[in-house]
Amino acid sequence: MTASEPTPPPLPNDEGAPTSTALAESTEPAATRSGESQPVMAFIEKYALVMLFAVVFIFFCFWSKTSATFPTKANITNVLGDQAVIGILALAILIPLVCGEFDFSVGPVAGLTQVLCAGFMSRLGFPLFLAILVPVLIGMVIGLSNGNTVARVGVNSLIVTLGVGTVLAGVVQWYTDGQSIITGISPTLTRLGSGDWFGLPRTLYILLIVAALVYYLLEHTPYGRYLHSIGSNREAARLVGLPVERLVLISFMLSGALAGFAGVLLVARNGSGSPLVGTVIDTLQALAAAYLGATAIKPGRFNVVGTIVAIYFLAFSVTGLTLAGVSNWINDVFNGAALFIAVLVSTIIGRRRTGTI
Amino acid sequence: MTDPGDQLGAGDAASGGTPPPDADSSTDSGPVDALRVEHLSKTFPGTRALRDVTFGAAPGQIHALLGGNGSGKSTLIKILAGVQHADPGGTIAVRYHRIAAERTTPEEARDLGLRFVHQNPAVFPALTVSENLAIGNGFETGPMGTIKWRAMRHRTQALLDRFEIPAQPSTLVRSLRPAEQAMVAIARALQDQEGEQSGVLVLDEPTASLPAAEVDHLLSALRRYAEAGQTILFVSHRLDEVVGFADQATVLRDGQVAGTLAGDEITENRLIELIAGRALDRLFPDMPEVVSDEHVIEVSHLSGGPLRDVSFGLRRGEVLGIAGLLGSGRSELLKMLFGAYGHKGGTISLEGKPVRFRDIGDAMDAGIAYVPEDRGTEASFPAMSVSDNLSAAIIPNYWKGLRLRDRRARADARSAIDQFFIKASSEQQRMATLSGGNQQKVIIARWLRREPKVLLLDEPTQGVDVNARAEIYALVRNAVAEGCSVLVVTSDFEELSHVCDRVIVLAGGTVTAELRPPDIEPARLTELAYRTKEVAS
Repeated sequence: MTASEPTPPPLPNDEGAPTSTALAESTEPAATRSGESQPVMAFIEKYALVMLFAVVFIFFCFWSKTSATFPTKANITNVLGDQAVIGILALAILIPLVCGEFDFSVGPVAGLTQVLCAGFMSRLGFPLFLAILVPVLIGMVIGLSNGNTVARVGVNSLIVTLGVGTVLAGVVQWYTDGQSIITGISPTLTRLGSGDWFGLPRTLYILLIVAALVYYLLEHTPYGRYLHSIGSNREAARLVGLPVERLVLISFMLSGALAGFAGVLLVARNGSGSPLVGTVIDTLQALAAAYLGATAIKPGRFNVVGTIVAIYFLAFSVTGLTLAGVSNWINDVFNGAALFIAVLVSTIIGRRRTGTI
Repeated sequence: MTDPGDQLGAGDAASGGTPPPDADSSTDSGPVDALRVEHLSKTFPGTRALRDVTFGAAPGQIHALLGGNGSGKSTLIKILAGVQHADPGGTIAVRYHRIAAERTTPEEARDLGLRFVHQNPAVFPALTVSENLAIGNGFETGPMGTIKWRAMRHRTQALLDRFEIPAQPSTLVRSLRPAEQAMVAIARALQDQEGEQSGVLVLDEPTASLPAAEVDHLLSALRRYAEAGQTILFVSHRLDEVVGFADQATVLRDGQVAGTLAGDEITENRLIELIAGRALDRLFPDMPEVVSDEHVIEVSHLSGGPLRDVSFGLRRGEVLGIAGLLGSGRSELLKMLFGAYGHKGGTISLEGKPVRFRDIGDAMDAGIAYVPEDRGTEASFPAMSVSDNLSAAIIPNYWKGLRLRDRRARADARSAIDQFFIKASSEQQRMATLSGGNQQKVIIARWLRREPKVLLLDEPTQGVDVNARAEIYALVRNAVAEGCSVLVVTSDFEELSHVCDRVIVLAGGTVTAELRPPDIEPARLTELAYRTKEVAS
């Protein structure tokens, strides 16, 4: 391997350095700021989202408009169970995010694999394990293709995955002809999606298992550490001998596989394969959760626990508002605003952490 | 004619206005300098970058400004540009306008008639010539805010004619040859100047990034501008282009004017003499002699990138310095040895066996470590902890029983912090919050923890204070005592003279000389680094 390392995609017209800054370049060394803030502030920073979540939750339990419907077992288990899919999508998008790449195709991949999973059972009569395994593998192959284009060719990941996502959405329409696939779905699968264990939805357990695996991967394996290093400084990562291209490529494969699995879970939850489910909107929700999660627990760093907290913070807030009679538009507004604020806050935290204000 | 010295009304820093008519006093009968700098000093905490610098550039002449690293060249340029302020007492004058240098602003410098073009001509390759020029001067717009393209085209054409740039206003700048791109940058800087005679063009190493053929092209254009009356202050470190080109040359050394030469006096030897001066002594640890005859690395006929036919050997337990100027190929050489830069020809042998590294991982496995030149972009993980930064090159060591032994990594990091003199509040402190010197110690520690056979250091003390510098070389010395061999590149030749057992000089992409004590002295190294022809030593 020689001088063929991928450089970050250039922004248009970035070649000319501004005329005056070359001179203005400071001769002083980077400011040495006192690293850690006070312990109280650090605690608040870590748990602000958790506390906000608790406040919102308690509020909806006692607010007159929602106190009858919000704190019910049916509502709570419903939200917990429904969000498992978005949760897994958020974990999928998290892996490439850690190394500084976007995978916008996670929503559309889930959309594709759920109609394929349903179609394999309904039209082709696949046994259940194949109807699960093949969609996951297809997700992984899409990830491989994305990762290859991004890591080896060096195209901007945002553009690549948005493009691929759009193509996949079209493929779903073609495959389903706009009709949901509702027959021939394995009852074993739907029981997994709708049943519960010890009073909690089974999909929640699945989410927690996946979250534990991703947590382990990102925090307790060399691979995870390598991804964080690449996210922090790609060139430095290359110069400590990391095979950056391969590591980034693998992150896309994992992301694709997880998104593929999220699609299977959608079939389990909905009992059908619908052409309307699994879109770029889901990607944005997942992205909002990942960014919001990066402001909590380990502020300034994409992390699994924060992401899961963020998922349920968003879901319970939106549900509460919906139960209070606010119509459906609140969903988009709330998630969009959450993404915006989360990116803003995590950028500010990140800048402060690296001392580049 | 008037001596400009008499024109300064007590501390009056006002600029603009019309040149005063010939006034009473005249002590000097010669023509007034186009640019005159007097008694300029600049003190930074701990150092004096400039001391009482006085020189003048005659109108319509090309005046070269030279000096080694740390001579105060760039500080001087920054003061001229108004980006930094000089100590009280200094003045800058362009013709009859004189201002106090302790509070010059960039606007004042501009009003004075000083125009700057920097090392990397800041042109926008994807835009047209016309747009590039307009960016420096503002776009002329009509009542609706739309750009007046026709007027702009006319204006551009006039400028292209004036600066003899063979292009159309609509030509994309990237399709011009490099020298002409630099000319566009010059035209942009000078476009609002009324006549050639009124201002001074300051070029900061305009040729540093140009290939040889382009340099000639640019220099002949500059010569034509000067003949039309343009005064040019030309900062350079390439002596071959100053000799026979500049009308005058001022050399700075240690913040002072070492001398000003004119016309035929400007010879390579005289310049080198002035640049190098006499050596100074400073504090560096003595390097113990543990040099054996066994070669750890043997490089023969290595070519690729800027290098051609480089051969040398690195002995076990030796600190070998590479003296070379920016662009001599010194950094590329280290990267080739680290498998991070491909080479076209020649061989590298490690402990007698030829090696061919496919990637950096191979080189690391073979026992090579590399501390890159630019800590910020190539070595540091700013958002991660000191502990994570220290273990970045040995992470697999902590992978046991299917989990990363983070606690052990942190304990090891704590002992490394002591062992490598790192000043950090804890191993969890974020890298970005350490001082430059301590970050550099972390990076060096990262590699020394691998106990490498060969340590490649590229500018290890850049942007590092004196104490940290001494500590860094103490670390290097300890590693050498344990059998590590070190190859060090630095622009600070004085440093090389103190820390190296042997120094090779890289110039024009090849090894031109080899020095051993007691011949390793800064003046000699400077002299050799500036010569591109091979020298017997």
